[in-house]
Amino acid sequence: MKNKLRKHFKWNTKCKLCLLPSLIGTSVFFVVPYIRVLYYSLIDNQFRRNFVWLDNYIKTLTNEYFLLSLKNSLLLIVTAVPILVMLALIISLALSYGIRWVRKTRVAFILPMVIPTASIVLIWRGVFADSSAVLPIYLLFIWKNIGICVVLLTAAFTSIESSVYEAARLDGAGSFILHTKITISMIAPTVFFTVLLSIVNSFKIFKESYLYYGTNYPPDHSYTLQYYMNNNFLKLDYQSLAASAVLTSILVFGIVMAGMAIQRRFDR
Amino acid sequence: MRKVNAVIFTVLALIFILPVAATAVMSFSSEGTPSLQGYVDLLFDCFVFYPMFWNSVLYAAAITIAQLVVIIPCAFGFSQAKFKGKGALFVFYIILMMMPLQVTILPNYIGLRDMGLINTPWGIILPMIFSPFGVVVMRQYMKSIDNSVIEAARLETDSVFRILITSVIPQLRVCIFAVVLFVFADCWNMVEQPMLFLKDDSLKTLSVFIANAQDYTGAVLFPAAVIFLIPVLILYFFFNENLEKGLTLGDLS
Repeated sequence: MKNKLRKHFKWNTKCKLCLLPSLIGTSVFFVVPYIRVLYYSLIDNQFRRNFVWLDNYIKTLTNEYFLLSLKNSLLLIVTAVPILVMLALIISLALSYGIRWVRKTRVAFILPMVIPTASIVLIWRGVFADSSAVLPIYLLFIWKNIGICVVLLTAAFTSIESSVYEAARLDGAGSFILHTKITISMIAPTVFFTVLLSIVNSFKIFKESYLYYGTNYPPDHSYTLQYYMNNNFLKLDYQSLAASAVLTSILVFGIVMAGMAIQRRFDR
Repeated sequence: MRKVNAVIFTVLALIFILPVAATAVMSFSSEGTPSLQGYVDLLFDCFVFYPMFWNSVLYAAAITIAQLVVIIPCAFGFSQAKFKGKGALFVFYIILMMMPLQVTILPNYIGLRDMGLINTPWGIILPMIFSPFGVVVMRQYMKSIDNSVIEAARLETDSVFRILITSVIPQLRVCIFAVVLFVFADCWNMVEQPMLFLKDDSLKTLSVFIANAQDYTGAVLFPAAVIFLIPVLILYFFFNENLEKGLTLGDLS
């Protein structure tokens, strides 16, 4: 008995050691430097190092470019994300239950996910040559992100086992109501996760936008949070950069935590 | 109805492929007429192209391989080890996965600067090895694998390494293929890191070459964009079947 227990502890220790390489790397490149970023956000500059506490945050939150970029980032979330998820839902439904020919189109919808933006943006520039609207960036966002949404949703649809439907039919449910109800309840967590992931990915549209405009100063309507930060990066303005990095991370942290809390409620 | 569906989805699929197809078509034309001039200029006259292409291959391949070495044991540890705070630690990985590059790039930069790795290939490779996406995906997938195989293997050996090789990795195949495709494409697509972490042109990647498009004559751009697509396209056609089964991210609770 004692021997077995010791063996269990030894095994458990070994399993914990498996986590170590990843934990060390994550600490060295993310966690420890992030703490320094927090520190930078609270001092006046890197040489004097006087604590100014929230001054950098106040400066950032009242900076008109920061507010403009925040507004644009939020606008992308409330407009493009719902369209993206709806479109992905329709496509996934067709890919899961459609005829063979429809299923074969899957390759086309998932492909953009792996296509390097740098390659594709040339065409975008050609097509929307004079457009000063936000539309090209929104389209690029939807085009680029539909793949991952379709992958996740299709996986959810196909993982609903037919036995679930059969069990419900035995309970006397009608066919149409049955399908809709079961399907909705089974894929709800995934739909929810897809929305969450798309919101988060909308913060990552900077690369697409940057490559499309080819400048650090795009038209006002496309000046998103990441431009603000990138420009501070180029100016080596570490204090503003640190403050906006911390603010953005708090925003994303809030969105993810709220999302996971809601998802947990769904499950009950 | 079925026919209508088929037509709608064929058209929709074509729209989605159109940008890729148009890029390919454009690469074979010069001033409106079909020609191979762009490719000739790129492959024979453009001296920066080859080193940048190989840099892209080197970085993406090194990161993908090293990431597998790190994330497979890590995901295994998450599924087998018992300790307090494991759930919270995993939530931390999820949150880190969700963070946009603009949040993580400054910590990355500071870490690399202090270690003197700015303007070296390591500055690109090392932080990407520890990107949390693979850990989250693989740990989720581990939930669905057959634990009895691992239990049986433990009766024969105490070596975690041998159990990983003989009983875990074979079961992870689909997930590994999906992660390889996703991570390779992600690295191949990097623009910000090479632009901000590298100064020497000899270290930069093909994505930077295309991003700084204005510096070069138009004719070589589309051919460069097409050649830039090819490695990910090849991987895509080999591995895309594994995506739906491999990326089981949907339900994180």
